[in-house]
Amino acid sequence: MSPVLEVRGLAKDFGGIRAVDGVSFDVREGEILGLIGPNGSGKSTLFNCILGQLAPSAGEVRIDGRAITGKRPCQLNRLGVGRTFQLLQVFPQLTVRENLILAGQEHQASMWSRLVGRRDAGLGPAADRMIEFFRLAQLAEEKAGALSYGQQKLLDVAMAFMAGPRLVLLDEPAGGVNPTMLAGLRERLREINAAQRATFVVIEHNMEFVMALCTRILVLAEGRIIAGGTPSEIRANPAVVEAYLGG
Amino acid sequence: MKKLALLLPVALIAAPFFLKPYGIYLLSLWVVMTIAAIGLNLTLGYAGQISLAQGSFVGIGAYAAALLTSTGWPLWLAFLLAIALSLAIGWVLGYPALRVQHHYLAFVTLAFATLVFLVLRNEEWLTKGVYGITGIPRPTLFGWSTKGPIAFYFFCLGVLALVSAGTWWLVRSPWGRAFTALRENATRADSLGVDTRRYTLMAFAIGSALGGIAGVLYAPLIQFIEPNAFNLNLSLNLLLMVMVGGSGYFLGPFLGAAVSVLLPEWMRFGSEGLYLIFYGAAVMVLMALCPSGLLGLAERVFRR
Repeated sequence: MSPVLEVRGLAKDFGGIRAVDGVSFDVREGEILGLIGPNGSGKSTLFNCILGQLAPSAGEVRIDGRAITGKRPCQLNRLGVGRTFQLLQVFPQLTVRENLILAGQEHQASMWSRLVGRRDAGLGPAADRMIEFFRLAQLAEEKAGALSYGQQKLLDVAMAFMAGPRLVLLDEPAGGVNPTMLAGLRERLREINAAQRATFVVIEHNMEFVMALCTRILVLAEGRIIAGGTPSEIRANPAVVEAYLGG
Repeated sequence: MKKLALLLPVALIAAPFFLKPYGIYLLSLWVVMTIAAIGLNLTLGYAGQISLAQGSFVGIGAYAAALLTSTGWPLWLAFLLAIALSLAIGWVLGYPALRVQHHYLAFVTLAFATLVFLVLRNEEWLTKGVYGITGIPRPTLFGWSTKGPIAFYFFCLGVLALVSAGTWWLVRSPWGRAFTALRENATRADSLGVDTRRYTLMAFAIGSALGGIAGVLYAPLIQFIEPNAFNLNLSLNLLLMVMVGGSGYFLGPFLGAAVSVLLPEWMRFGSEGLYLIFYGAAVMVLMALCPSGLLGLAERVFRR
């Protein structure tokens, strides 16, 4: 089976600084790959290069065997790639329900039919199901800006799944979420992974979360992959301890 | 607020029967400026794209109407031409917004406004330059003459009703949601499949087209146009209407245009020529205390 995501020799320079240095890896269908590394190791830059938010200096990215380097984020989203950002990114003036409808509406019919057709673009029931699934039912008609940080984080993650993506890149989904909500979030992600065979790549600093969620982990330091393996292999790898704690 | 929105049409239909011709003229001007401000509110208030060129599109519409109707063409053709021209030029004006934002974009649109003004003033063979165009006729629609002030006012009001209904539909549709997403967080919107480039261009094009429609009504309302009417002052005034009424609120342009067109005239009486100072001070205080405009202020008060 060909990988869902192939990254080959990806590099990104900012002036004289090489933030990502020839990174290559594959992600297979249904896999939950964790990407960890100390602050400044190039994880978010790597995400942004994969997802078209930054133009890579070198290398290639393929999704389902198709080269996507240089494609715009909205084009990638329509190819079935979802993402969340390191910092919270919901639309504060829209309600929770509208945030979710927005997250799926551009996949519905043509641009013209979105103007003359139904206000919810036919996504009302799907949005309600997602609201239930992420335990946000009491907040459906609240403006997203009025939610707590943890609730906004859940909404942010839920939005990435509204269009039924095949591949989702989650940038620090656990950041700022309280332990109770975090357990719920992990369960939701596992359920989606099992039910839809959705593939995830997760950047995360919360080791407990990433070790419990991911099936395989890659470790990035100074823009390069220094280790890869199952959570237990990574835990026991001296190079990883060295990268985090320094020598 | 909803009751006020329902009462407004009734008041607007009844108002001209209680007013003198100058009052009806002012009310008609309010209608025309409201249409232009609705367009700018779509571009700026909903989609978050600053434009200092809305007055230029009013000028483009007005000159299209004046040039066509003075040579015997019907006004509906002027509407079509003005809409097509403003849509196309507005679309092109949107391209800089794909590269620059905020005050940089303001300067790009400012340059465009200056360019349009210079064309209107200098290309005498087409626009008659500073001499302007006089004797612009008011239309007769299906045998109904709009020559009188009340008839023309109702004609303008009918166009405002159509524009309002269309805009109401648009801002509540998935397009309106995408415009809001574009304003609040374009990067996130892009990652959710929203083609932010296309929506930016459409926000400019549709907003500009509404400016063009306002211009088509402006020409037969005044029956004389010249380039100075469409210089930067008009664009700034329209910006003021959007900001004072409440940027991003559907009724904001209605209220903002009333403040800009009607309030100074009302204040003129009894203030011995000081009304513009009072008016300017009132606007400054409002903007300092409530940058989200009158409707933003009302929302804050009612929420308490």
